[in-house]
Amino acid sequence: MTGEAAELNALLARVATLRDRAAFAALFAHFAPRIKSYLMRQGAAPALAEDLAQEAMLNLWRKAHLFDSSKASAGTWLFTIARNLRIDVLRKEKRPELDAADFAPEAEPDPGDGMMLAAGEIRLREALKILPPDQMRIVELSFFADKPHSQIAAELDIPLGTVKSRLRLAMARLRAALGDRP
Amino acid sequence: MRHHPGDDILLAYASGVSDEATGLVIATHLAFCAQCRDAVSLMEKIGGGLLDALPPAPLAETAFAATMARLDSAPPFARPARTASRDGTPEPLRSYLGGDLSSVRWRRMGPRLAYLPLLRRGGTSAKLLRGSPGTEVGAHTHRGLELTLVLKGGFTDVTGNYGPGDLQVADGSLRHSPIADPGEDCINLAVTTASLKFENFIQKIAGPIFGF
Repeated sequence: MTGEAAELNALLARVATLRDRAAFAALFAHFAPRIKSYLMRQGAAPALAEDLAQEAMLNLWRKAHLFDSSKASAGTWLFTIARNLRIDVLRKEKRPELDAADFAPEAEPDPGDGMMLAAGEIRLREALKILPPDQMRIVELSFFADKPHSQIAAELDIPLGTVKSRLRLAMARLRAALGDRP
Repeated sequence: MRHHPGDDILLAYASGVSDEATGLVIATHLAFCAQCRDAVSLMEKIGGGLLDALPPAPLAETAFAATMARLDSAPPFARPARTASRDGTPEPLRSYLGGDLSSVRWRRMGPRLAYLPLLRRGGTSAKLLRGSPGTEVGAHTHRGLELTLVLKGGFTDVTGNYGPGDLQVADGSLRHSPIADPGEDCINLAVTTASLKFENFIQKIAGPIFGF
């Protein structure tokens, strides 16, 4: 997993700097079926999910130079692209976005060699794998169900307070793994 | 800054569940708050981890070739030109205002209050509110959720004091009558998922007229 995430970052850096089509093809093979899977979980029909997965990959091609491998993995960046496409196309809304220039000096992203993947993010993914099942269920539903927590609570037939406390526990573990707050 | 959105609200924004009006308030709070920016960044990394762990759903065999054929006509994305703010109004609020906070064309609502509707989707709406120092909004409870982000000045109610960047989350369990702090105008960005329930007779009638 460690090696794979770093490799994906390196492929994305090659797309950014060299417009490397072979690197793009490898990224497509990895991410397009996962993005399709993500969108189907959000309720998109298979044909639409497939169109949007291709659209997301085209976005990757067009925006690769904006990717900063010191901030996040390629997977995280693709997640934000797929999420925004979903809001845009499936919900027909805009996503209000920050402009980093408002609170940080403008810095050009440095694609580097893609090997800068933060160790914290690798620890985070390991921690995600060993999250207690009841906490993992809430985290997954929060990301994939496209429903407010009140509705998730009703469907699982547990109090809203329990949903929130499981979420809090999960976040504390994952935050500690990332190393934000020891 | 002392008042932040909870993890559940930040997660709804990070995962893309929040509606646009709520997203506007949360993202504008993030422009003030490094701590919540870090939290959202962590949540997006969780999203990335979950995406990578999903079982792949294979695409039709033609999909890859079709995408490759489109690459040449897909030029690199260019960020839209950034217009500098003269008074420090951050994004995404600036885009929704169409400019700076200091050049907003307010609508009067009595001698001490002014407002500007920004966005309405179904029962959820976002608006700017401005009260002169000492203005009382009037006791009310909530049918849904009310998120209030202070942009300038401050206000005080039973739950405490709120200054620039602070976000108050009020639900059906809270009855409050916020009062603008002395000194300068209090300007808030507020989103409500349902209309407020005012207790004062005049406000009961006026509230719906102004969209509260």
